[in-house]
Amino acid sequence: MKILIIEDEKGLRESIEAYFQEAGDICETADSYQAAMVKINLYSYDCILLDITLPGGSGIDILKTLKASNNKDGVLIISAKNSLDDRLQGLDLGADDYLVKPFHLSELKARVSAITRRKMYNGNNILQFNEISIDLSAKTVTVLDTPLKLTRKELALLIYFIANKGKVVSKNAIAEHLWGDGIDLADNFDFIYSHIKNIRKKLVEAGANDYIQAAYGMGYKFNDK
Amino acid sequence: MKLLDKYNRVNLIAAIIIMLITGGIYYLAISSILINEKDKSLEVEEQEIFDYVKLNHNLPQVFESPDQQISFKQVPKNSVTRKFINTTYYKNANEPESGRGLISFVDMGHTYYKILIVESKVETEDLIQIIFGITIGVILLLLLALVITNRLILNRLWQPFYNILDELKLFHISDTRNIPQLDNSIDEFNELHQEVSAMATRVKHEYQNLKNFTENASHELLTPIAIITSKLDTLIQSENLSEGQGKLLTDLYGAVNRLNRLNQSMLLLVKVENRLLKDENLIDLKALTEEMIFQFEEIFLSKNLHVSYNLDEKQVYANRHLMEILLSNLMSNAIRHNYNGGEIKINLNAESLIIENTGDELPLRDDQIFTRFHKSSYSEGSGLGLTISKQICENFNFSLLYSFQKPYHKFSIGY
Repeated sequence: MKILIIEDEKGLRESIEAYFQEAGDICETADSYQAAMVKINLYSYDCILLDITLPGGSGIDILKTLKASNNKDGVLIISAKNSLDDRLQGLDLGADDYLVKPFHLSELKARVSAITRRKMYNGNNILQFNEISIDLSAKTVTVLDTPLKLTRKELALLIYFIANKGKVVSKNAIAEHLWGDGIDLADNFDFIYSHIKNIRKKLVEAGANDYIQAAYGMGYKFNDK
Repeated sequence: MKLLDKYNRVNLIAAIIIMLITGGIYYLAISSILINEKDKSLEVEEQEIFDYVKLNHNLPQVFESPDQQISFKQVPKNSVTRKFINTTYYKNANEPESGRGLISFVDMGHTYYKILIVESKVETEDLIQIIFGITIGVILLLLLALVITNRLILNRLWQPFYNILDELKLFHISDTRNIPQLDNSIDEFNELHQEVSAMATRVKHEYQNLKNFTENASHELLTPIAIITSKLDTLIQSENLSEGQGKLLTDLYGAVNRLNRLNQSMLLLVKVENRLLKDENLIDLKALTEEMIFQFEEIFLSKNLHVSYNLDEKQVYANRHLMEILLSNLMSNAIRHNYNGGEIKINLNAESLIIENTGDELPLRDDQIFTRFHKSSYSEGSGLGLTISKQICENFNFSLLYSFQKPYHKFSIGY
């Protein structure tokens, strides 16, 4: 995948870049409105990560330019402006998704994967990972053609893991992804442990490899080997 | 009390008091003038008697007269003092009228007579009554005219004031709408209107500044948090981390998470307090509660909580996002302050939504729990959850009450 990261904050930009590059994606970056305008006019990307507050201009204007030139690139707004108006305006203008800072890199990766998947596989919405096949429209999973029954959250978690394959995903990131940031229970992650245990058991019983590993007690890693 | 009523009342009372006083004075003045007239006529009569006595050295013949009676009476010398009296005048023996009399005397050397001249006052009094009646009538008419014109003029005159008042009632700090220009020809109201408009603009400006500040502060704060989070996410990708380092990273995640939550909660509270989230819809509370229970399912399980619920159909008019936060806050509390193997009961009916949980043996201080940053010492929450919940309830005119019925802590939302 080819990704453009438009973000003025150096620390954040570099982290995002490194995370995506390690997963095998090609990343370009822009740290200002002008730099971003140059890049979007010259190249096309699978997904553009767009910050709203930029030196030299607003990300909203970049979005307007993209849509005015009928650009088909996916756009994910990443902004610290958590006002509902901004969010609605961004989505109304044709952004594919909106992610509020601060976010976990794994969450960003999962959102970007979802956007590019939607762009690339028109109609045929199957996510294939080795022996695991997920029909994203019908929300069904088969392992080596055997149907596997997963709950709503287990399915979401599996898709999340596949998007972040080879990466260590923290428990916080998993909790936020599955239970939303409305659930304020940072002091207790036991429920994640039992949740992961269940999904591992189901996958192994269906004949898949045991991909999920605990990592240093703070998260899990979905091995792609 | 309305200005008009107050004004009319003061006006009316003052007018009546003044009218009574002037009426009294008027009456006294008229009667004293007329009585004075009468007295002069009595004196003329007396003088005529004196003249007659002087000329003829005896008393004049007394004739019957319809409006005057004169009598003489021989009395001891110097026993009479001259004076005017109010007395009764007998036109006929059985028809007494009020009269005015003059007691005088005539000294004829060897004889001494007391003279009593009495005249009827009926005509004088009739006159007084007529004059007084007309005057009262005119005053009452004037008073009525005063009340009516006051009402009309004041209503007209104060109309700009009421217009400004209506504008103020419509004023909302987060609205973009400005107070419109109103036509009126009265300087005071023009000035009031200008000041009100200027104040509204100023308040909105200040409010906008504050909002911008909050937004900017959040942006400034969220960006470093975002960087810390992303760096932590990068750091855990490193190979060969030790268990100890893993523990440190877990604690760091926890702290950043709390920092983030606190920041989000403060922003949310500002938004809710300023009623910035206005998008209200009819919400199926039963479905929403079921959804929330489903969301919390694994968390209930991990703490071995026994959850029982009884949900009736209920729809409320509110903002969906805020209702989710409200339910989520209350359920999070019911879990956080519960013990392993405890109980949660959720009851939704036509009047209220009640969430009860087991937990601490002692009741909470219900005057403190809704205040900002009040929390139990072992709680890892932000201390804003219940404040936000209470404020959300206030926004939609719901009540949020706490009570303790051993062993249950009970929070009920009444709508």
